[in-house]
Amino acid sequence: MGSSPLDELVDAFVNLEEDKVLNLVERLLKEGGDPVDVLEACRSATKIIGERFERGEYFLSELVYAGEIFNRVMEAVLPKVTKEIKPIGTIVLGTVQGDIHDIGKNIFKAFSQAAGFEVIDLGVDVPPERFVEAVIEYKPNIVGMSGLLTLAIESMKKTVEVLKSAGLRDKIKIIIGGGRVDENAKQYVEADEWADQATIGVRKCRELISVMA
Amino acid sequence: MSKMPEELIREKSERLSRVMELKEPDRVPLSFASCFGEFMARYSGITVDDFLFNYDKTRESAVKFASDFLHDMLVLAPGAEGFIFSVAFSNHPDIAPLVRFLTGPMHDILNDKYTRWPGRELLHNIPFQFIGGEFMSLSEYDDLIEDPVEFIIKTVLPRTCGTLEAPGSQQAMAALVRLGMESLKFGSFLGALGADLARVGYPSLPITFAYCPLDFIGDFLRKPTGALIDVRRVPDKVKSACEALIKPILNVALALKPAGANLAFIPLHLNEYLAPKLYNEFYWPYLKRVIVELYNNGIKSFVFFEGYHDAHLETILELPRGWGIAYFEKTDIRKAKKVLEGHSCVMGGLPIPLMVSGTPEKIEEYVRNLLKDVMSGGGFILAPGVAEIPGETPIENMRAIIKAVEKHGRY
Repeated sequence: MGSSPLDELVDAFVNLEEDKVLNLVERLLKEGGDPVDVLEACRSATKIIGERFERGEYFLSELVYAGEIFNRVMEAVLPKVTKEIKPIGTIVLGTVQGDIHDIGKNIFKAFSQAAGFEVIDLGVDVPPERFVEAVIEYKPNIVGMSGLLTLAIESMKKTVEVLKSAGLRDKIKIIIGGGRVDENAKQYVEADEWADQATIGVRKCRELISVMA
Repeated sequence: MSKMPEELIREKSERLSRVMELKEPDRVPLSFASCFGEFMARYSGITVDDFLFNYDKTRESAVKFASDFLHDMLVLAPGAEGFIFSVAFSNHPDIAPLVRFLTGPMHDILNDKYTRWPGRELLHNIPFQFIGGEFMSLSEYDDLIEDPVEFIIKTVLPRTCGTLEAPGSQQAMAALVRLGMESLKFGSFLGALGADLARVGYPSLPITFAYCPLDFIGDFLRKPTGALIDVRRVPDKVKSACEALIKPILNVALALKPAGANLAFIPLHLNEYLAPKLYNEFYWPYLKRVIVELYNNGIKSFVFFEGYHDAHLETILELPRGWGIAYFEKTDIRKAKKVLEGHSCVMGGLPIPLMVSGTPEKIEEYVRNLLKDVMSGGGFILAPGVAEIPGETPIENMRAIIKAVEKHGRY
């Protein structure tokens, strides 16, 4: 066959074989493999998983599990990382004020981390001022605002306004996400992008930073 | 010439029973439902807090809504998902149905962690939120399997309800007495509301409640994402737990049978998350057993298929013909009607974004086109895609829906 352990890792991850993935990661790291290669393999795998999801072959049940597997891989890999890994971009992420739903946000977080983004997760029910502070502190490329409730749309709009009056709007791209956001909501909120599925959100974030670069 | 309430009730009951029997009624029935009460509160000039915490105002608000927006079936429950409390009391049929909904006042008494409420954990005048949480560890599946009711009473409720954290304490005993008093109040509110609505021409629905076992695990014990991961890590335990939950769930649903209940509402949650393979292994077999068992007991089911159910539509055909109402949120309703024609009563069809941001003209056009495709043969109820009227729905859009059904929904 001749497939490398890294190829095997990608395959196992795409097929959501948790134990096999973790065993392979452990073996690779023990044998002196580069943690960055492991992360790269996971990145490829989650990209394929995202594509399968968008084609309707995978469902949310698979995304949730993939996110969980990725988190466990990170737990194993991060302590071994000695040199600094330069992220492809930074995202400040949170569920907006008044809304405490986090399933979509957490899937998006895992998949965007897997894609190579650094993610600053502000949690749920995040007031606009907290987004402003985080933008000043972390200087992200992108601000991701998540929310499931219809009232979240109002909170998103308010957050964008507060970012504007803080003079930060031009320094960042804004993406909104959640089951009920759409093109209308994007325009109303004055965001740059929207996504109603986590994997689409990650793809759009990649597009946003490539435009910025 | 306006009709007498008795006549309206007869008309609406006949309309609903005909669609349930998969026949053509005189007109497509229109149904509205609400738990949050945002629209009703706004329309009747009260706050959402009042709608959720002051039963007298809830009644007034509901009656005003029902009188001004004429429709056929109103499902109103000003409370959050509280099925775990029913399961906790599932061996006590006099109590189980009364604690099915976790109302605002019950939240104040129990101090539960499942929900957040306006004027408490949330700002005023916004609807409550159900947040759930992880209240059972992976290693406790065995306890759940062994005796779900005991495990919930002794282990889960003390974790989920602040005032029940020390079982047997003065605080916990007092909380249970208060819950009893409050649930009676809620029960008499529901009775009075039924009578109010009858006076304005609405039949009362002989409704009871059931649940899908895996949703029970996701909503009340392990979080939805936890349940999704558990089906991978401990598949056999999840199956045994689902099996063990069937009996208490049926006990809850059957508690209202002696009172004449013949329709069990079952809200689904994880259905759209699950790939067909998982759905058919961990979700559907147990849900199907609940529905069939109730059907054999003379109780039809009224299932809300949350989100997109397109991938699992065909499985519904495994149920006995005329098993009940399949209420869809985002599923392609035309396809659903086609697949389930002559087998299930199909409900839904009004997209929430259309209700909120459409115009009356667009709504009429939409309803006309939709009904043209789905009304023939009967067995169809028009309703918003979720069991809620969004607070910001324009009044003229509500009127447009009612007018359009009247105009285009006659057989």
